[in-house]
Amino acid sequence: MGDIILDVRNQKTAFVTARGMAQAVDGVSFTLERGRTLGVVGESGSGKSVLSRSIMRLLPSNALVPADSRVILNGRDLTRMTETELRRLRGPEVAIIFQDPMTSLNPVLTIGRQITEVLTFHMGLKRRAARDRAIELLRAVGLPQPDVRVDQYPHQLSGGMRQRVAIAIAIACEPDLLIADEPTTALDVTVQAEILDLLQRMVRDRNMAMILITHDMGVVAGRCDDVAVMYAGRIVEKAPVRDLFHHTRMPYTAALLASIPKITDPPHRKLDAIEGRPPDIINPPPGCPFAPRCLRADAGCDAEKPVLAGTSRHQWACLNPLGEEAPA
Amino acid sequence: MADVTSSTQRDATQRPEIDRNAIAIALHRRSRRFGLFFWIPMVWLIVVAVACIFAPFWGLPPADEIDWVYIQSPPVEGHPLGTDNLGRDLLSRIVWGGRVSLTVGFAAPFIGVGLGLILGLIAGYYRGWADEVIGILIDAWLAIPGLVILLLFSVVFGGSLFMVCVSLGLLFIPTAARITRAATLNYATREFVLAAKAMGASDIRILRKEVFPNIIWPLIAFVLIDIPIAIVVEGSLSFLGLSVKAPTPSWGGIIAEGREVLSTSPHIAMVPTVVMFLTVLSFNLVGDAIRRRLADVREGAI
Repeated sequence: MGDIILDVRNQKTAFVTARGMAQAVDGVSFTLERGRTLGVVGESGSGKSVLSRSIMRLLPSNALVPADSRVILNGRDLTRMTETELRRLRGPEVAIIFQDPMTSLNPVLTIGRQITEVLTFHMGLKRRAARDRAIELLRAVGLPQPDVRVDQYPHQLSGGMRQRVAIAIAIACEPDLLIADEPTTALDVTVQAEILDLLQRMVRDRNMAMILITHDMGVVAGRCDDVAVMYAGRIVEKAPVRDLFHHTRMPYTAALLASIPKITDPPHRKLDAIEGRPPDIINPPPGCPFAPRCLRADAGCDAEKPVLAGTSRHQWACLNPLGEEAPA
Repeated sequence: MADVTSSTQRDATQRPEIDRNAIAIALHRRSRRFGLFFWIPMVWLIVVAVACIFAPFWGLPPADEIDWVYIQSPPVEGHPLGTDNLGRDLLSRIVWGGRVSLTVGFAAPFIGVGLGLILGLIAGYYRGWADEVIGILIDAWLAIPGLVILLLFSVVFGGSLFMVCVSLGLLFIPTAARITRAATLNYATREFVLAAKAMGASDIRILRKEVFPNIIWPLIAFVLIDIPIAIVVEGSLSFLGLSVKAPTPSWGGIIAEGREVLSTSPHIAMVPTVVMFLTVLSFNLVGDAIRRRLADVREGAI
């Protein structure tokens, strides 16, 4: 077991809205060790992206985080830091890759400018050195003709190339923790695998830790060490990837896995969608948030909110988990 | 079209088809070219600018030197545009007066846009109370008639060229601030700003490196509109005697002096009027052409 890079304890993030408080992240805790990748899976609105921004401390001004939430990165508590301290840390210690490389790159600056920008103010490189380093980084992320591309604008690059540039910017300062927030959602399927392989290689070569946020179970399967399944702002199941797939405990995870169409399915088979909609996070149900959609739910599920239980290796939040005799 | 070669190979016996790409490219180039309505005014502006900037080197008589032989004279040898009612060389006065007009024409918009840019960036980026306060200040500023501000400045600072520029510049602040704020609002919430923040960029850095390069285009367009406006307003002020003090010549001032002898020597008022008219018109035409081009560039970049 390597050293712990990230330790998130009871992270809660709520947004003040016109309708009331929206509890987007509701008590998430996990640790992440160097060299490991944690997959965070969940459907839209489950709080995955808000979690990533909460870790980065990049929340909009209407976000509320209670005082007992802790994000400890390399032994230092980000929740106690000033904005200036955080700025020094973003880049060299933690970096994020966003979903859509069309919007995460500035359209009026050359990609070289956008990379050297980071290098000059975090690493103190001079202009020429920064440019050379930028070309090196672009080569490292597999961008063809890096010495030409460095002077081009984002619109001259394809989506996959842009995401490579975004990755180059993110790894420019050799961060310890890389957060990839649905890095392949906006990309062509054929490019997705390349980008994911690249991320995996970067994490391995540079001995970083990565949080890979996605809604795609398939992305998680091959490329993560551990997986956390999120639902309505909470982690509902967390396990090493094999255990999660083979010994699923939480009915929600099982439903997610079942909803993936199988290649052996007959054509025109109806997709196994999960019935119903995620709960309203402004007025959450008192019991298990998944209970209204859950096939195994009973009266107890509607009354009591389950907490994460199980071993430290495999945890789930369910009163009637799979693989156990349902109580009579 | 000679430089555009067909990209497809064709049978030599076949009648040469018109290359669609070549036509499209040629049409595109034509649409991108600056026409005569850009180049003629541009040449005029260059002539005026060179004449004014290098005024001391043309061997013209000093603008305030009185030639007792020719008073209120039509064009004669030595005075190509004649003299005014005090016997001063009209060409020399127009050239030296142009320095005042052009200085104001450029300085005022830059002062106004410079200050408006700062206010607009703060309001659009930070929002909240800063936005409220700046919004109220701008509304208050707009509620004061511009002429009052100009009059006040001319009374207090007594016709110094710098203060004329400042007072005119102040009048451009509200619009510049609003344009900047609107453009900043558009870009401050973009993901690349969040991405820059995620890489540790400070607010000032984000404004300078991420937001500013995106909002510069509407501001350039605004400056191009304001230059001729500033020239005209300065001319009006001079005409009223509220700009630079006599004997320093300025276009408006020369027109005002010529007005007194309009019936006997109309050329004294007419020549500077025509010069000013052509200059302002040229600025407008050139500004329009550049604005259109900028719009093309912006569309291409997105």
